[in-house]
Amino acid sequence: MNFTRHVILLIALCAGMCSCMKYGPMDEENFDAGEVLPGDGVFITNEGNFAYGNASLSFYRPSTGSVENEVFIRANGINLGDVAQSMTIRDDRGFIVVNNSSIIFVIDIHTFKVVGTVGPLTSPRYIHFLSDTKAYVTDLYDPRITIFNPQTYEITGRIDVAGHRSTEQMVQYDRYVFVNCWSYDNTILVIDTEKDELVDEIEVGIQPTSLVIDKYNKIWTITDGGYEGNPYGYEAPALCRIDAETRTVERRFAFRQGDTPSELCIDGEGGKLYFINKSIWCMGVTDEYLPLRPFIEDQGTLFYGLGINPASSDIYIADAIDYQQPGMVYRYSSSGTLLDSFRVGIIPGSFCFR
Amino acid sequence: MKKLFLFVTLCSVYGWAALGQPTEDSVRRAYRIDSVVVTARHILRDVGAQKTVLDSVALRDNVTNSMAEVLSQNTSIFIKSYGRATLATASFRGTAPSHTQVTWNGMKMNSPMLGMVDFSMIPSYFIDDATLYHGATSVGVTGGGLGGAVVLSTKPVVENGVGVRYVQGIGSYDTYDEFLRVTYGSARLKSSTRLYYASSDNDFEYTNYRKKLYQYDDNNQIVGWSYPVERNKNGAFRDMHLLQELYYDAGKDNRLNLAVWYTGSRRGIPMLNVDYREENRSKNQQDEQTLRATFSWDHYRDDYKLSANGGYTYTDLKYVYLSDAGEATLQEMIHSQSYVNTAYARFGGEYYLSSAWMVTGNISAHQHFVKSTDRAIVTNNGEKALVGYDKARLEMSALASVKYRPTERWGLAVNLREEMYGTEWTPLIPAFFADYLLSKRGDVLLKASVARNFRYPTLNDLYFMPGGNDSLRAEKGVTYDFGVKFMLGKGRKTNFSGEVTAFNSRIRDWIVWLPTFKGFWTPVNVKKVHSYGLEAKGTLQARWGRAWSLRMDGNFAWTRSLNYGDPASWGDRSIGKQLVYIPEYSAGVTGKLGWKQWMLTYKWNYYSERFTTSSNETATKIGRLAPYYMNDISLERAFRFSFGGVSLKFAVNNLFNEEYESVLSHPMAGRNYSLFIELRPFFKK
Repeated sequence: MNFTRHVILLIALCAGMCSCMKYGPMDEENFDAGEVLPGDGVFITNEGNFAYGNASLSFYRPSTGSVENEVFIRANGINLGDVAQSMTIRDDRGFIVVNNSSIIFVIDIHTFKVVGTVGPLTSPRYIHFLSDTKAYVTDLYDPRITIFNPQTYEITGRIDVAGHRSTEQMVQYDRYVFVNCWSYDNTILVIDTEKDELVDEIEVGIQPTSLVIDKYNKIWTITDGGYEGNPYGYEAPALCRIDAETRTVERRFAFRQGDTPSELCIDGEGGKLYFINKSIWCMGVTDEYLPLRPFIEDQGTLFYGLGINPASSDIYIADAIDYQQPGMVYRYSSSGTLLDSFRVGIIPGSFCFR
Repeated sequence: MKKLFLFVTLCSVYGWAALGQPTEDSVRRAYRIDSVVVTARHILRDVGAQKTVLDSVALRDNVTNSMAEVLSQNTSIFIKSYGRATLATASFRGTAPSHTQVTWNGMKMNSPMLGMVDFSMIPSYFIDDATLYHGATSVGVTGGGLGGAVVLSTKPVVENGVGVRYVQGIGSYDTYDEFLRVTYGSARLKSSTRLYYASSDNDFEYTNYRKKLYQYDDNNQIVGWSYPVERNKNGAFRDMHLLQELYYDAGKDNRLNLAVWYTGSRRGIPMLNVDYREENRSKNQQDEQTLRATFSWDHYRDDYKLSANGGYTYTDLKYVYLSDAGEATLQEMIHSQSYVNTAYARFGGEYYLSSAWMVTGNISAHQHFVKSTDRAIVTNNGEKALVGYDKARLEMSALASVKYRPTERWGLAVNLREEMYGTEWTPLIPAFFADYLLSKRGDVLLKASVARNFRYPTLNDLYFMPGGNDSLRAEKGVTYDFGVKFMLGKGRKTNFSGEVTAFNSRIRDWIVWLPTFKGFWTPVNVKKVHSYGLEAKGTLQARWGRAWSLRMDGNFAWTRSLNYGDPASWGDRSIGKQLVYIPEYSAGVTGKLGWKQWMLTYKWNYYSERFTTSSNETATKIGRLAPYYMNDISLERAFRFSFGGVSLKFAVNNLFNEEYESVLSHPMAGRNYSLFIELRPFFKK
């Protein structure tokens, strides 16, 4: 081979190596879910893997069985973010809390288009609306509850919660909002919504994970009991009933040590409690004992999220499978009959009913 | 004559990159070893071995390179990297980072807590020899290399007298690299001191297509948007490495070596491009201080070698997450710290019974002491308690090996390894090797090997708080290799050497961390993985006249790494699918064109699409990463003055200014530039 041929060969090889990576703007799709009957639209927030930024939003219509995945990304051409924690609807707008992106996206629930954002916050978890102009946001790390205006999306204040970190879910009784504090905590906080002040604390048990209020104004929480070696303690998990008026724990339903109850939910009438403890369990709010048998048995599934449609009382169960692939959602009737199943996004964690 | 030709060719090409070798004589000596390796008959020690030896062309390419860049560019190993000075882990033949065992001067580098090695913490200028042992071949080095092993080491300079080399690099984003090596050599004592310091703001600008900046009217209605142009947030780093080596020839065929390597590093962990926090209201930072020391005694004779090694590793690794909690200053939300102390000892010997038989035996021990803590805030007053574990574990490994070459063409070998961790023993790890020289003219050598292997759980797997699972079993693997190595145009001005290997391995009880309902993760033995594929590498060398030279090194890998575990549930679609982040195809080519004192280097690197879901979803906008193509170029000019040698180098990375993510939501730098100056003063001998 002569020199020229070598050089030509070299240039040809180099040229063959060059190529462009496919990366850049994403297309936007137009959606219009139109008018939907109450309960005939279910948003599923898929957390995605921590630090992957692959959270997504799915939309399901029970009447047709149709499901659209990644609707946020498809409608807006941007990522939803890292760890979609929860979604709450107010006045045809969906407020999606994206925990590790520190942002709340506000979308039109018909078109899924972004209409506003709230943040950045520290590590937001859940939203509770008090009025058209006032809402609370809890936080995993910030020992304050953030107040924002849902009309202007502006942060209007903070409530100091006396050093309690990891404020989680909220329920309201009268003018008081009750907040469970989960990580290394054992407390339900009581916030006066007129003064925006912490006014009381209720000790329930180690690490209350979730919170609901029933039709008798009893507040229910479920604790996970910590773990072996936990400096905060380790005890049997419990389901606790709190009287909202007197703010006292009326009853503790203890689980076995090592059980992993979570995701306490209540039906639309406020009469039936549901929770995950490997399987799905159901008990009436007036029952005196924990149920003996599961309502829906797990069959090798990894139930991760649970939601009850307040309109139909259908039960939605999320299976995260191996946490690295799109999960499954199973829809059961209130009598425990499987009605439908469909695939959503990675780690489906919570449901929001239109 | 052939050796002479090869030697001249290699000197010409390699001379440019042969840092640490201040004179031409030393360059010649350094590369004469290579030329012998290429042309000599296949040595008994390497019967059936699937090895990749990284030469100084790769190791000394650029002072900014860590071993992550070197491995990614020059070998079939896939490096998952988040950018410069961020975690870089290896996948060898489609396995997990903990399945690649790494040693430095014989001592394990894998973290006893995590099982893996962060290759971004190893500057390539601190490594003099780097060899990859693929699949079954790794059993001869260590156990647990279900993918393979990477053996790194230092070695003494060849020449006597004082030598100094200083390299300074200035690059985009306020990046500064400083490297200094001072050597001294006498008949018996050789000393080398290396210092490397790198710092950077690493705040490259990029258009963030994963966010939009919305514009609102007075009624809070969105009236427009744009993609924000952001800077890489929280990516600043500064790394310092200091390495002192002493080599002493004690006479009577005894040699003593000592190497001490200190690393001090502070690195920001860059924020995701979907993170809306402001940089000054949040901080993720990792601080590491590591001291590694090894010493060895070697006794060489014609027919046997004895060696004793010792070592010690200390690591203090701290991760903190600071965030806005309403106060003026950032508050510490997460504080994780771990201390690792490891003592190491090894004794081994090799004995040549005859020119056809060789027996090897060695036994090594690593005693780990690990304290891993997380400061948890357990009261409303901010009082903290430590969550974690404090454990010690002894790990021992023994090898017996017999190698036999009954004829010049045939070679056979068997390795038997036994390992102990804590009070547990792995079953016997056997490995068998054979090779056959098909053609002497073309150096066509056929190689085959098979091995069973085990990797035991790490201390985090067993004891991490919360989530550690002390009932984990060791991972088990069986691997088969078959390959052919050849050379075309041997002895000619243009020649090509290559090697192609097919591999097939199965791993059971693969350990995977999964979330629990309590909000933490726990490891479980779940996966069965079938990994198979092809590895190919080749080197083309050409020379025209006295002035021109060309060398091209290429590698290619086809890797199928498929999950065949039991389905997690009936909806599990991951069975039979490629593991997350493992590319099916990867390739790298490095071309060096030399003309007189000039050297043009072009590097191209490719990974095929990588899935980020275990079910390999394709109908998704966020579940996969597009194929990766990277082009880097540099031009270097060497000058020789009476006082010493000087060289100037200008490098352009990401030549085509690609906008991309190599890992989901982690933006990468666009085109960037570096200028290097290298000084090598001459000293009288």
